Amino acid sequence: MSLDFSVLARFEHALFLGLMTTLQLTAVCILLGCSLGFLVGLARTSRSKALRFVSGIYVEFFRGTPVLIQLFWIFFCLPLILGVELTNFVSGVVALTLYMGAITSETFRASLNSIGPEQVDACVALGLPRRVQVTSVVLPQAVLRAVPTLLSNCVSLFKESALVSAVGMADLMFVGQNISNNTARPVEVLTIVALIYFVIAFPLTRGVTLVEARILKKLAI
Amino acid sequence: MNYTFDFNAVSFAPLLRGLVVSLELTAAANIIGIVAGFGLALLLMSPYRLVRTPFMLFVEFFRCTPAIVQIVWIFYCVPMLFDVFLDPITVGIMALGLNLTAFNAEAYRASIQAVPKEQLDAGIALGLNPLQRVLYIVFPTAFRASVPVLLTNGIVIFQQSALVAIVAIADLMYEGKSLATETYRPIETFTIVALIYFAVSFPVTQIVGLLERGRQLLAS
Repeated sequence: MSLDFSVLARFEHALFLGLMTTLQLTAVCILLGCSLGFLVGLARTSRSKALRFVSGIYVEFFRGTPVLIQLFWIFFCLPLILGVELTNFVSGVVALTLYMGAITSETFRASLNSIGPEQVDACVALGLPRRVQVTSVVLPQAVLRAVPTLLSNCVSLFKESALVSAVGMADLMFVGQNISNNTARPVEVLTIVALIYFVIAFPLTRGVTLVEARILKKLAI
Repeated sequence: MNYTFDFNAVSFAPLLRGLVVSLELTAAANIIGIVAGFGLALLLMSPYRLVRTPFMLFVEFFRCTPAIVQIVWIFYCVPMLFDVFLDPITVGIMALGLNLTAFNAEAYRASIQAVPKEQLDAGIALGLNPLQRVLYIVFPTAFRASVPVLLTNGIVIFQQSALVAIVAIADLMYEGKSLATETYRPIETFTIVALIYFAVSFPVTQIVGLLERGRQLLAS
């Protein structure tokens, strides 16, 4: 078979719009998801048993089921349960935020747990009040240590965002599949779509390694 | 909310059929991933850049593109490019297997490189030759260290296997989708489907947690 990449030139704009939707969705969900994940991470390390239990169930459930089923559930069931119409974008944001919250909470939990007890002892020895301990000693270190894993979480989210195409949201994947169906040129179109995803995700994963190797070593934490 | 639940509307026979397909896909992909991943890890650590680079690209490509793009690509493009007809299940196994191979290779590589240098020094001190050192020290240690990650990757592939529903392979997700449309009972159906996925994944993640805690205890 002969390949003809020139068909793509006609759809440049459509692909660009799809990519913008993907990036917007990812950006919004990174912000909301990280905030949610941080709170859930705190809840999972809290002293209250009830909080730990509820947040544990949330995290295990979202990590233990495919993102696709989470998306379907929120697209089809949430409007029925709430009795309101949700736009595609809102449902997508809700689904991916809940997913991102679950995976980042594990990251935050691990980094919170990695702060050694001797640091807390030192705080006590210095007579720091509990609030200062948390805000000036534990949190800054925990957040910094979480950065590399958070970055890989962001890459995962970016990749998982392609799933919203399955529920009809016009993201990069959806646009690509439409073009490939209309032009009957799946090889060219899908390859370009895959390359676009790669070009964005690959530098980010390199960034993870860079952060791990340079910044964290320099800070010696 | 004025929705009346009716879980009786959900018939389990098709869901179970779908689950069997999902499990088959997962098992086949895991066999490919565990075996080929190891070979790939060795190639990734080759001292020759010319050997290393193409395989690194392969791994990075699978790690940096969405699994759904990979599945759709393989489903539509492999038959066109190579002019072969493959049955959907084979395509699904191929896509999931290649994806898992890339992730497992990284896991093997990380654990091979994490074998402490003292152990190799001890091997030299004992008079083992390089091949013996690799066979008796590096591989056993590295393989044991990679088991939790391999298990995690394996269960992630079980979850990713839901994506084959998009290319119309009759797995659990696909059967759930059709059932939801047929019965007009999306809440009940999708909840049950999610619970089935959870019931399979959760025990495995718990085992991984236990294994990791065990390793930490041993290490300390």
